[in-house]
Amino acid sequence: MAEVQEPVTRQQWRVLVAVLNSYRDFEVAREEGWYRIPLRRAPTRVGADYLAFYQTSVFGEERWAVNYYAPVRRYHIVSRRSLLPGEPNHPRADDLYYRIEIGSLRRLPRSIPSLRLRRITFIPTTLERLFGAEEINDLWCGTQDEEQLWRAFKERGLAAERRYPLTEGDEQRTADFALLCKKGRVAVCVDTEPAIRNVKVVREHPLISEYEARALGWAILRLDSSDIAGPEAACLRTIVELAERLGGVAAPPSS
Amino acid sequence: MRLGFPVKVLGQPGLKSHDTRRWQNHPHLSVSLAYLRDVFLYLDRQDIRMYRMAADLAPYVSHPDLPRFRYQIDDCATELSALGAMAKSYDLRLSFHLQLSTVLNALDEAIALQAAQLITAQAMILDGMKLGDEAVVVTHVGGVYGDKGTALDRFAARYDLLPDRAGRRLALENDDKRFSVADIMWVHRRTGLPLVFDYLHFQNHNPEGMRLMEALQVCLDSWPQNVRPKIHFSSPRTGMRVIERTGPQDERRDPMMRAPRPHQHADFIDPFEFVDFLRKVKTIDLPEFDFMLEAKAKDLAVLQLREHLTRFAPGAMYWGSNG
Repeated sequence: MAEVQEPVTRQQWRVLVAVLNSYRDFEVAREEGWYRIPLRRAPTRVGADYLAFYQTSVFGEERWAVNYYAPVRRYHIVSRRSLLPGEPNHPRADDLYYRIEIGSLRRLPRSIPSLRLRRITFIPTTLERLFGAEEINDLWCGTQDEEQLWRAFKERGLAAERRYPLTEGDEQRTADFALLCKKGRVAVCVDTEPAIRNVKVVREHPLISEYEARALGWAILRLDSSDIAGPEAACLRTIVELAERLGGVAAPPSS
Repeated sequence: MRLGFPVKVLGQPGLKSHDTRRWQNHPHLSVSLAYLRDVFLYLDRQDIRMYRMAADLAPYVSHPDLPRFRYQIDDCATELSALGAMAKSYDLRLSFHLQLSTVLNALDEAIALQAAQLITAQAMILDGMKLGDEAVVVTHVGGVYGDKGTALDRFAARYDLLPDRAGRRLALENDDKRFSVADIMWVHRRTGLPLVFDYLHFQNHNPEGMRLMEALQVCLDSWPQNVRPKIHFSSPRTGMRVIERTGPQDERRDPMMRAPRPHQHADFIDPFEFVDFLRKVKTIDLPEFDFMLEAKAKDLAVLQLREHLTRFAPGAMYWGSNG
């Protein structure tokens, strides 16, 4: 039966932006219609109606951007050995992977670049955002407070990065916003509840401690709802002043 | 004691309970299971150990006109098994609840057949996840159709026709208009089905005048010895309702205010009502059981009730204490 095009503005369609870092994986996605994620390194959000692909530096003119997306058809859990039968002696041959079957690749109406060419892992987002994003940072879906602060940053022309990794590994800590300044780095963490402000919900991305952030060379600002509330985020002046003390936000290399 | 909630996660945006795509766009159980895996991670972060999965987890699985969706459960054996292992490792009690449109005692044989197919499909999912007998498919008796006795008989007869694997997973709940605790007790005596006591439904529909603890006890006693029972708990809505009205030509009219009705579920659980109930429970010798909270604020209601219990009745969550 003919496939019906869903209206692309519907907010509820979930998209997982995944990384393609080789032509081989691109060909597998385009010709064979699948993508793989190792189970042990799978992000906290794997479920999606669509996959979109961030292409890394190997892709020439299409590099450092999201250019394609495809509808998800099926998730399988398989061993690497059955996924890649040509590599039976690979050290991780018995590891389990999600093999995500997808429909045909579709090109986005416009590329979504990573202005700072940053390392991307996975970004859970919506189809609405995928079609509206001007750059990678527009894809992340934050709490109401985070979204308000992001809009304020954009209005002020502050080139912040969202969900920026401060540490690596299993216990990865991220900053909700990072300002990469000429003489230092500012991590902005929005310490508010995701849904209803007086019901305590454990965060999906644990906050880094102030001590740990400083030890890693970050200046850290922790904000709550009252700091962000109002027509203009009350905290914005503090953030701008701190960034200016550190020489101002460095221009993204691709701007 | 576990506190659980049904289906939709409100505490973190973007967590879907299942694949909601229309049939034309190839929805699949495996996509639902990927969403469910993300939900399980969320539940573990919040220390919530009980959850009701979406009735449509396997999309269109019993749809009479879409036979190609029937084989999804067999296709997903590996994924179901992996997710079941994850649930076990999180000590997560899982269940299904049939939608009101799924009526096993319907007069129309086709509707009853579809209900039986859906019960079987949900039982197959629970079996595929290799879950214990605590994982059940909850249903109501269905319609009265002018004769309650015949309607109860028809339910029992249709239950007898279910495949063993489906019958073994089914549990029966009292409703708020038609079939009381006394009615479902009759079904239990006839079929052996375990009974899920619904607190709010009992308050709304108890024509026999049973005492609260008596009704609770008969429902708890209906479960097999080695299976921990569960009940449904919710508070009646007390806030004003705002009804958005539209005119004959979809012309918008002013919103209308309506007083709440006692069968409507509140957004959150009244902590004092809950503590009062727990204290009554602890005055008699009852087996331990779990609570499915049917509040409109879903997981947020669980999280808030836990905070309230800590504040107003520390220790109430633990059996054998004086909470």
